[in-house]
Amino acid sequence: MESDRVIVVPRCLLRIINKKMFELIVFYIFAALLLTSAVMVITMRNPVHAALSLILAFFSSAAIWLLLEAEFLAIVLVLVYVGAVMVLFLFVIMMLDINLAKIREGFIRFLPVGFLVALVMVIVMGSIVGSGIIEPLLEERVYYGPGFSNTQHLGQTLYTDYLYPFEIAGAILLVAIIAAISLTMRARRDTKAQDPNRQVAVKRSDRVRLVSMKTEDR
Amino acid sequence: MLENYFPILIFIALGLILGGIMVGIGLLLGKLMGHARSDAEKQSPYECGFDAFEDARMKFDVRYYLVAILFIIFDLEIAFLFPWAVALGDIGMAGFTAMMIFLGVLVVGFIYEWRKGALEWE
Amino acid sequence: MIELLHSLLDATLMPLVPESMHRITYLTFETVFKITLILTPLLLAVAYITFAERKIIGYIQCRIGPNRVGPRGWLQPIADALKLIFKEIIIPTGANRNLFIIAPVLSLAPSLAAWAVIPFNDHLVLADINAGLLYILALTSLSVYGIIIAGWASNSKYAFLGAMRSAAQIVAYEIAMGFALVGVLIASGSLNMGEIVAAQEGWLVHWFWLPLLPLCVIYFISGVAETNRAPFDVAEGESEIVAGFHVDYSGMAFSVFFMAEYANMIMIAALTSILFFGGWLSPFPEMIPILGEPGLFWLLVKISFFLFLFLWFRATFPRYRYDQIMRLGWKIFIPITIVWLIVAAVFVLIGLPPWFD
Repeated sequence: MESDRVIVVPRCLLRIINKKMFELIVFYIFAALLLTSAVMVITMRNPVHAALSLILAFFSSAAIWLLLEAEFLAIVLVLVYVGAVMVLFLFVIMMLDINLAKIREGFIRFLPVGFLVALVMVIVMGSIVGSGIIEPLLEERVYYGPGFSNTQHLGQTLYTDYLYPFEIAGAILLVAIIAAISLTMRARRDTKAQDPNRQVAVKRSDRVRLVSMKTEDR
Repeated sequence: MLENYFPILIFIALGLILGGIMVGIGLLLGKLMGHARSDAEKQSPYECGFDAFEDARMKFDVRYYLVAILFIIFDLEIAFLFPWAVALGDIGMAGFTAMMIFLGVLVVGFIYEWRKGALEWE
Repeated sequence: MIELLHSLLDATLMPLVPESMHRITYLTFETVFKITLILTPLLLAVAYITFAERKIIGYIQCRIGPNRVGPRGWLQPIADALKLIFKEIIIPTGANRNLFIIAPVLSLAPSLAAWAVIPFNDHLVLADINAGLLYILALTSLSVYGIIIAGWASNSKYAFLGAMRSAAQIVAYEIAMGFALVGVLIASGSLNMGEIVAAQEGWLVHWFWLPLLPLCVIYFISGVAETNRAPFDVAEGESEIVAGFHVDYSGMAFSVFFMAEYANMIMIAALTSILFFGGWLSPFPEMIPILGEPGLFWLLVKISFFLFLFLWFRATFPRYRYDQIMRLGWKIFIPITIVWLIVAAVFVLIGLPPWFD
């Protein structure tokens, strides 16, 4: 019996370690993928390739969020960013004839600005990480069981505790609709489209005009 | 929870591999079995009997961008509806009213689109 | 079966794998094995739907359809597959080579991967994730990439036009589809596919198609539009833009697109049966012996029925004009779904019997 116990306990431990190990490996794979694809976004010569790298970057970050058990956010990241935002990006890139040489020129010219933005980002992120508000959160982190639906928990708080931010999000979306329409809507003058309503509602008097006139002489 | 996503990871990988293998086999067998004599006519993109005048990638109607932007907005709306629909039983009337206000605001936007003619295609 | 796989692994691979990786290796091979069990019938079904399509449409048009290869034409799909494998894949000169080859792969992968969360009966599901329906919606939104990239990479006007049309169309119908799915969520209160079926427990009148009838109809029609099938097949409308986004594809590269389209069709049929028609539940009350039993059989019957509808539509309806498609998607489907969402929410809140009590 004694020897049995000696075998059983390490195995259980080993399993836990294995699971964490595997998670870690998956994390590093996706983290590496994320970084490579992010670098590829700015180094690719062809803008379509750059956009596709950005899609890969979104995928890898979704996988990393999933590792944090944020399944709703991870899948919504794919749904909204990959499924919608990147479609718009591709539309824009594919349909404007973008001059490749000009883009390369801009790369050098805007490089200092890019560095500045990157620097600001690093400072901001560093100040958050350095301020010590993250460590306690990490310690509090709870691992939920397989039956836990974080979509449901999100729903329970989003529409009650965070009501105002939620409604403000709705208002922002409304602003986005109006802005998009007022910026891009152009009434086209050259269309030959038919309006079925007007076609159906047409009356005889609109089309035919009876004119009484004298018979002409031969 | 993560265990459940492991098969999905493998499935996506396998889907990509399977597609890759199929196209790969096609390329390989086409090379090995056929005598691929290529000439300018055969390699040219499909056209109705004449050479293409210009690059196929052309400027497009701005309407397509508008559709894509509106799609993003509605997609976000759906993303907001998902947790609400799942939790509706728990949040009851309060949650229902909250979503009705949200939907109301967006319906205003939708009506605006409609009246402005952003949804017309001619 | 799983034991056999384990012993096979023990005999061959396991000695080479370090002890700490054993569990994950077993799990990987088990999963691959299960995925094969899903994909093999799926791909066979894809092959034979092409046959069924030609036969059924043939009979609808008073023809016989393919009847030369094998007994009554039953080997026709095999012959087609063999032919396509040996065909040369031509890559046009102006095309972007890498993207041209990647595009069909990108269109096939999501249409297969969506099957990971489909439950076949109350315990037979590969990945029992909580966010199943969300995952499906995310994957269907990816199917547009294969088309856009193919259209752009070919560098042909027809392909490009087809791709742009189909992208705008897919996008419009995806919203209607998303709203219809939200309706199912309201009714079932869960994103998990198994629980959605469990929420429809009962027979024909207990399923969600009845309280969510408009959403059900809109979901299926949007599904037809999403898969670019007739009467919404302007993306490949033969008479206008030849074959649309895959006009420059040949051989296996073409057939991968083809398989993706048919796999998507089966997917839509399966989803309609699961979300609105009770999945594996029997349409008869439980009192009736044998026929009242739930099981995989019923799911297959329902899927076949909806697949038949796809073919029937194709043989019956003339193609929609593009502006009509956009009008139907944006101006008819989206308002109806929004209204019915609210109606469904009210149903749930008042606990309307027999569905939501």
